[in-house]
Amino acid sequence: MNNSIFPGIWRFIGLTAVQVLLLQQAGSAIGSYFNVLLYPLFILFLPIQMPTPYVVLLGFAIGLTVDFFYGSIGIHASAGAFSGFARSVILSAYKPKGGFSGKEPIAAPVYFGWQWFFQVSALFFAAHLLWYFSVNAFTFVYVATITLKTLAAWGLTMIFVVLYSILFNPKN
Amino acid sequence: MGKLLQLLTRNGGFMTFLLVEMFSFYLIVQYNDQQDAIFTHTMGLVGGNVLEKRSAWMSYAHLKVVSDSLASENIILRKQLADARNIQVPYRDTFFIRDIDSLIRTDSLRRVMVKPQFEFISARVIGNSINSANNWLTINRGSNENVRPGMGVISKDGVVGIARHVTPNFSMVMSILHRQTKISVGVKRLKKALGSLVWEGGDPSVMTLKFIARHFDVKPGDLIVTSGYSEIFPKDIEVGRVEGAPEQDPANPYCWIMKVRLNQDMSTLDYVYVVNDIFHTELDSLKLKVKNEQ
Repeated sequence: MNNSIFPGIWRFIGLTAVQVLLLQQAGSAIGSYFNVLLYPLFILFLPIQMPTPYVVLLGFAIGLTVDFFYGSIGIHASAGAFSGFARSVILSAYKPKGGFSGKEPIAAPVYFGWQWFFQVSALFFAAHLLWYFSVNAFTFVYVATITLKTLAAWGLTMIFVVLYSILFNPKN
Repeated sequence: MGKLLQLLTRNGGFMTFLLVEMFSFYLIVQYNDQQDAIFTHTMGLVGGNVLEKRSAWMSYAHLKVVSDSLASENIILRKQLADARNIQVPYRDTFFIRDIDSLIRTDSLRRVMVKPQFEFISARVIGNSINSANNWLTINRGSNENVRPGMGVISKDGVVGIARHVTPNFSMVMSILHRQTKISVGVKRLKKALGSLVWEGGDPSVMTLKFIARHFDVKPGDLIVTSGYSEIFPKDIEVGRVEGAPEQDPANPYCWIMKVRLNQDMSTLDYVYVVNDIFHTELDSLKLKVKNEQ
């Protein structure tokens, strides 16, 4: 567990920085349909054995940090907490035979293979983005816009998720 | 804090998720204008229906008081109707602008051209708060009856608030007991003494009057009336009386600061009137021109 604290802290800082320095700027320059939310990777790559309440609280924490830069206090925080909870549901649905052992500290492709990782992260990011855009609109009047934005953002984000995983190949 | 975390761990992720989401939604509504507006609007729609049902039941209990106050209001209105007939003013709804009447009587050209400036939409208060830092009222009239955001709301005893959010059948009215309230008023006895009436929280029957210049001799008990310089409230509505001696405003040494006791008890509002200034659009566009030139 101790070994995974420092990678976690670095991912928190690094992903928040990439989110607000690069992706937010790119989004405001390109248009309202260009949304890449990469910071939830921090939540996905938290230790598998970590109890869900801590994952929810840490998801809330990184969301709130991103919110300070987006000037939308509470919106990313809500989505972060939701995906913290969604992660535990998705991981228990995709657990290998015999459950997770201590040998696989995080849900990374290096332990479970690329196909497994792509399915899990696809579901995870779909959940996060759908929640984010729903809370951002705050009404279901714009359900069509919410769906379109979620689909566009999901496609774009998954490219970045795969690039990140190839580039850093995280192990813990 | 450690015990709280332990409790949350034992009760599983879902409890934590629910608590954190509740807190997030509180933050969202508190700090984001757009989401806050949607929240208030939705609460108005949902709450309005519930409140109207409750109000229908409650009204039976109040029928006697209501009919008394309606009767006394009728007497006042009849008297004003008689006044208006006496001076044969060729327009209606003028009882709030009697001072202008006397001008017009001597001006035969204006007398033909002038139209009634104000129309009134009667409404009932179906929701009211006085204890928060910022208070709101719900009334049972909305855009179907031509209520628009920005219209003033008055009662027979004074000013009540300003309509802010409007749905087809209901409106949310920002009470005068709200930190953003700023009403242009004057001292009736000293016609040119103008000031702003604000609410600083606390006692719901007392407001604070600021920006009256120090050379005016304001006395306790002086009647405070609306100035009529905004399109929101007609002129000369009695708001309340000065309570206690005026003091020098520490923030603005050339002005008085004083307490005003309201005529209208804000906790017993029932029938109110929404003020529709029919020159509203015209005056607005005129003021916009000045703004563009600044």
